[in-house]
Amino acid sequence: MEILAVVLLAGLVSGYLVLAGCDIGLGMLMPYVARTGAERRRAVSAMAPYFLGSEVWLLGTVGVAMGLFPVLKAEVITGRWPVFVALLAGWLFRDAGLWMRGRMRTGAGRAVCDVWIVGGSWTLALSLGLVVGGLLGGGSLLSPFAIACALTAVALFALRGAAFGAERLVPAAAAEPMHRQSPSPAPDGVAAGGGGAVPGRLPGGGASGSGAGGARTASGVPAAVIGHTAAPGSMPTESAVSADTAARATRPLARAALAAALLAAAASPLPGGVAAERPLAAAATALVVLGALAATSGLTGPRLSRHTSAAALASVPLLIAAAVNLPVAPVPDGIAVLFYSAVAPLVPFMVLGQIWLYRMVRRPAPASGFFG
Amino acid sequence: MFDLFQDPLLLARVQFALTASVHYIFVALTLGLAPFILFGQLGATLRRDEARMRAVRFWGGLYVVNYAMGVLSGLVMELQLALNWSGLGDMFGYAFGAPLAVETMGAFFVESTFLGLWIFGWDRMSRWAHLMCFAVVTGTAYLSAYWVLVANGFLRYPVGGLRIEDGTARVSDPAALMANPSTLMAFGHICLSALVLGSAVVIAVSAYHLARRNDPDRMFGRGIRWGTAVFALALYPTAHVGVMQFALYDRVPPGSGLTYGPEEIAAIEAEGSAPGFFDAFGDGLMMGSWALMSVITLVLLAVWLLRRLDRWRGVLWPLVLLPFLPYGASVGGWVLRETQRQPWAVEDLLTTADAMTDMTPSMAAVSFSLFTLAFAALATVTYVLLVRYARLGPELGPLAPLRTKGPAEGDDAELPTVHTF
Repeated sequence: MEILAVVLLAGLVSGYLVLAGCDIGLGMLMPYVARTGAERRRAVSAMAPYFLGSEVWLLGTVGVAMGLFPVLKAEVITGRWPVFVALLAGWLFRDAGLWMRGRMRTGAGRAVCDVWIVGGSWTLALSLGLVVGGLLGGGSLLSPFAIACALTAVALFALRGAAFGAERLVPAAAAEPMHRQSPSPAPDGVAAGGGGAVPGRLPGGGASGSGAGGARTASGVPAAVIGHTAAPGSMPTESAVSADTAARATRPLARAALAAALLAAAASPLPGGVAAERPLAAAATALVVLGALAATSGLTGPRLSRHTSAAALASVPLLIAAAVNLPVAPVPDGIAVLFYSAVAPLVPFMVLGQIWLYRMVRRPAPASGFFG
Repeated sequence: MFDLFQDPLLLARVQFALTASVHYIFVALTLGLAPFILFGQLGATLRRDEARMRAVRFWGGLYVVNYAMGVLSGLVMELQLALNWSGLGDMFGYAFGAPLAVETMGAFFVESTFLGLWIFGWDRMSRWAHLMCFAVVTGTAYLSAYWVLVANGFLRYPVGGLRIEDGTARVSDPAALMANPSTLMAFGHICLSALVLGSAVVIAVSAYHLARRNDPDRMFGRGIRWGTAVFALALYPTAHVGVMQFALYDRVPPGSGLTYGPEEIAAIEAEGSAPGFFDAFGDGLMMGSWALMSVITLVLLAVWLLRRLDRWRGVLWPLVLLPFLPYGASVGGWVLRETQRQPWAVEDLLTTADAMTDMTPSMAAVSFSLFTLAFAALATVTYVLLVRYARLGPELGPLAPLRTKGPAEGDDAELPTVHTF
């Protein structure tokens, strides 16, 4: 029975990191990719459905850890109280900013919400990284290894956010007429030229060539092309600047994440480094993370970064499971019966709801809505 | 005040009381408003009535603004249990934690996902699918309340064929945990009182607009009649189920005696029993509010009989303040339930002092100040927003259909006040 619970817990953590990576990362990058009011609004509306759908995975993780693995929960929290308080505060303020931004009537109110969203996203990424580093390192929070882990986490989240932004920050008003007029994806040659489609806004964009090019919308149309060839009648000033900026950021971010991960690997033999119980398994999983990042650091970066960042983030719980013997006691029978019989009828709703939600909002984010 | 910050236990308790009260006042409106929206949307869907659907968007806007704060306070409460009350988790991690795991992992997971679908699904899915989304939201909201009360009921009346092994409590009878009388009665009480609160809010908002002779699509006339009907129907059973719980307080819970003998229990209770002030305060607030609400119900029904429910300003204006009574009663009820159990965290088994994490005064003070301030700010903002949108009416609500196009991309020319999905 306990293997099911362990898989459930690891699955929840992976799901959270992969899905929330999108909205946390975009929140971190907001000051960089979304400069104007309209762009910021779009960034928040892009994050909104993801944070609604993804934070439940983290709350589910907390719940499962509390209910099925109380010893594990105690072990993880003991000694890391400040990190968890920071995590909770970051989570709280970020959510508050996301929920309330669309309700603010003044620029100052929205600016406060933006500060909460950006600050909260950074706090979440840093504290999650510190927790991972602390777990792998067997306790110490401020060892070189734990800090390198936190840096890796920050870069990984930012990479995921950039990949997400490249896809979702395309103006809907510009994108939707395109769907009707040219349903077939643009040829790859056009996609590769991506970056510099909006004249005067993207110095050096064209020169970035294949590095910046692969930003695509959900329909497979390159972001910049949409910005450029917006159909008549749509707002001509709407551009895909944010999406292009995000797309161009993926490669440097992947390199930063790779560098930080290598730094962590180098720091792992130091005091406070990895207390690996199964060094081989840990190294193999770490290689998955490094390989994913290396693949994204090259010329094909932007196009792959969505998948590689997801793969790297999803391997994190596996890495922890491989490296450290966490105190996982078997779930007592009575509690297992209670939990599984109560949760099983809800599982179809969970699966249906999550898939439906992400499918429904796959098109580029609207310029305004309840959130934004 | 100085003393308060020297005593981590008192701080942690006050912090939890504040978190729980703030959480509950938002949750109660979530529970109370959901059926109004669900049946409103059902009516609108059956009749294909756009006017009724605008009313659904209005009440739904209030629901979503309120829901946000319920989630924020809920997650702080969940993590506070893990951070500040680890003694509870060490000993009763399974019995107390598993119901909360079901709540977060199952009910809240589904509720939040489907609320997202409902928010983003206006005009993107068929009207029946959209209605079904809110039906799932309503069902899981009540399911959440049930599972939280399974955990809470266990504290008051520990059941489940408990035995203590290696310092942790094992549950051998999960069905008894789910059918805990303390849980079931509290759940009935909570559902009914949430309906009282939700209908009081519907009455108050409707009364405000009717008093100003503003009744677009006749939605507030319907609102005050439905609100009054539910209010009148739910008020007496709320008290009835509530009072039934007192019988349970005299019984010795089945789990008693596992950790302390009867003499020790008597000694602990004699030494640490609460001064009684908070019990009396909570009890008085709840009962007093209820008595006032009973009188108001009679007045409302009489005015309805005279067919003046949506017209007499002398009745309508005071009704705007009606929600204060059920809100006060709800907080009072929780204060009573939680202080009556003291000095126990789990009745007869674990004292509140032992349930607390070993914290230094400075840790407790930091956590307390940070979250109390953040909570006060967020709760205030949420209430300001709720009152603002309630007063603005259906045309300018957060879920209102788009009427004017927002500025295209003016740099910081910012926000149309009208939104759509």
